[in-house]
Amino acid sequence: MRTRRAVAGVGIALLLAAAPVMAHHAFSAEFDINKPFKLRGTLTKWEMINPHSWFHLDVKDESGSVVPWMIEGGSPNQLIKNGVTKNTLVVGTELVIEGYQAKDGANKGVGRNLLLADGRRLFLGSTETEK
Amino acid sequence: MMNNRFLVLLSGLVVAAAVTWLSAIAAAGQARSKPYTGLRTPDGQPDLQGFWTNATYTPLERPKNITKEFYTRAEALEIMKRQAVEEAEQTQPGTIPDVHYDFTQFGLDRSQGAMALNLRTSLIVDPPDGRLPALSADGRRRADERAAARKSRGGPHDAVQNEPLGARCILMDRNGPPMLGGAYNNTYQIMQAPGYVMILVEMLHDARIIPLDGRPQLPPNVRQWTGSSRGRWEGPTLVIETANLNDKFAFQGASENMRLTERFTRVDDDTLRYQFTVDDPSTWTSRWSAEVPWKKDKGPIFEHACHEGNYGLYNTLAGARAEDKRAADEAAKKKSQK
Amino acid sequence: MRNGLPTALATSLALMLAVMTAGGQSRAYRAPRAADGKPNFNGIWQAVNEAYWDVEAHAAAPGPVELGAAHATAGGLSIIDGGTIPYKPEALKKKQENYANRLTLDPEIKCYLPGVPRANYMPYPFQIIQGPKYIMMVYTFAGAVRTIYMDEHKEAPADSWMGWSNGHWEGETLVVDTSGFNDQTWFDRAGNFHSDALHIVERLTATGPEHLSYEATIEDPNVFTRAWKISMPLYRRLEKNAQLMEFRCVEFVEELIYGHLRKKPSQ
Repeated sequence: MRTRRAVAGVGIALLLAAAPVMAHHAFSAEFDINKPFKLRGTLTKWEMINPHSWFHLDVKDESGSVVPWMIEGGSPNQLIKNGVTKNTLVVGTELVIEGYQAKDGANKGVGRNLLLADGRRLFLGSTETEK
Repeated sequence: MMNNRFLVLLSGLVVAAAVTWLSAIAAAGQARSKPYTGLRTPDGQPDLQGFWTNATYTPLERPKNITKEFYTRAEALEIMKRQAVEEAEQTQPGTIPDVHYDFTQFGLDRSQGAMALNLRTSLIVDPPDGRLPALSADGRRRADERAAARKSRGGPHDAVQNEPLGARCILMDRNGPPMLGGAYNNTYQIMQAPGYVMILVEMLHDARIIPLDGRPQLPPNVRQWTGSSRGRWEGPTLVIETANLNDKFAFQGASENMRLTERFTRVDDDTLRYQFTVDDPSTWTSRWSAEVPWKKDKGPIFEHACHEGNYGLYNTLAGARAEDKRAADEAAKKKSQK
Repeated sequence: MRNGLPTALATSLALMLAVMTAGGQSRAYRAPRAADGKPNFNGIWQAVNEAYWDVEAHAAAPGPVELGAAHATAGGLSIIDGGTIPYKPEALKKKQENYANRLTLDPEIKCYLPGVPRANYMPYPFQIIQGPKYIMMVYTFAGAVRTIYMDEHKEAPADSWMGWSNGHWEGETLVVDTSGFNDQTWFDRAGNFHSDALHIVERLTATGPEHLSYEATIEDPNVFTRAWKISMPLYRRLEKNAQLMEFRCVEFVEELIYGHLRKKPSQ
């Protein structure tokens, strides 16, 4: 038992090291770790494109004026395999997005958590019991 | 809006989902063992057609402290389970991995799709230690030259040409050749028509069209990112020989002289065995080979118009220039304050 | 036979002659069969015309100054039934703007996927890989690929550059119904364009062992006043060992797209 667990333990660490995700590096160059945000807005468009999809939102700022934002999400390819289409996420849907803003200061960001207005995660992911 | 059943695809507890995924893999892994004598295409060739994935957690090289070639089933399944749970875990706010969309939310974890069970501790099967062979003198020299050239080009975001080939949407590990799985979108579609095999790679919508009529390779002065490929059948196995590579993809440090032999054999209804041998004496002291099981996957493969949608690359470069300007402005301010 | 052929024989001979010279339906070419009994369109094909410059009839015209005659527009006839594209008035203005700025606006310059039908008449070969469930069309330019779904017809899950194609056979003709386009592609280098409401029905029929007839009916209620149709022969590439070459053109346009974002050397 001891040997097996030890092997598995070490194996995982190295397995993880051996399967790099290049995207991480580029994302932390594109978006600023020191500029987290939490936005609430209505969807004006979901660009279901590659290499990454983009959510376009109308966000009301403090003064009440509407500011368009664009938020980077994942490739839609696996969602499409699971039946998601351009009709799934309807224009006008209210979304709450937590993420990090673009380094060049534009109203762009990466969407770390994409939530519906009722707090449920969009598409796939952990449920309430995970928290 | 809430009624659309795809808007929220509940996957249940992270660990529960991983366990379900894993038991399907374990069950599938138990089922096979007889040699496959199955389908043929109408013109009598072994039928390799369909959607396949080479998604894997198995590293190319054997981890340093592992000496055996195979895990036991129990070990392999345990490793896969931990990988699956780790993939689905939430990242910590304020850490680099957190500056990213959530792969799990988009179904992009490997554990959210098909994966073949692989008991091997490395994809490399030869040399027997599961690691790349030593570099030849030429290989060491070229590695040094490339490192020096990279350094002289400046930082990774100084210019688009300094960015990785995948970020530029030119070539990815999924394309190769050889074709290796990456973090996500690891699907392939194989079609066979008289005299040809086509392998559509999901990433970069690459259609490798391989003639089977014994024609020669392209002339040696013609170099392509994916080289020149020619195929033939050896019994149940499709053999693809590739040459005429350029020196820019440099698979694992290879030179343009690399010769690649890939082999596909259908093991059962749901599995292909993909093997490849790299022959490049300008880089390595010996040939080396690897083996990867490909699992039956589902379609469709949606258009991967990577370059067309590449806002991210633009934003990365613009962001880097914004940082440069910030740094320059601060330096100028400090200077004027002296 | 001094008195001529007997009437019945003469009549049948005349009938046969009429049918043979009618050039159409009853004596249509019957292509060799694929394994599933359908006409076999496998192979490498190419259009030979000047439509890639401009699908409407046009005279020769200058290109970029520094390339002189080497990149001047070659004159060509229209491939359109009726000659011209039936633009709505506002759309025609946009087309003219596109044309005036084509050396910056043409998506071909940026190595973007060429869309449909443009991919079919770019001056490079494309390959058809045919199966009962899928027919793939693989193009040289930018390695563009179209999947034609022959078996399960679904709606486009999302918009794409090359559209979503559902196909079926009508006798000797492959009918391909494509929609789900984005609005980013052009029909040619002359700025002829469409919206994301573009809908195309193509018909391919073998007219001989080395020829396909290609027709496409194009409609887009946002841009055109009515549907319009193009047609052309497609020719089989007959060279021994004909093949598609790689045309990974992203590298060729990176400087143009991203060059201005290069780090300036520090003072």
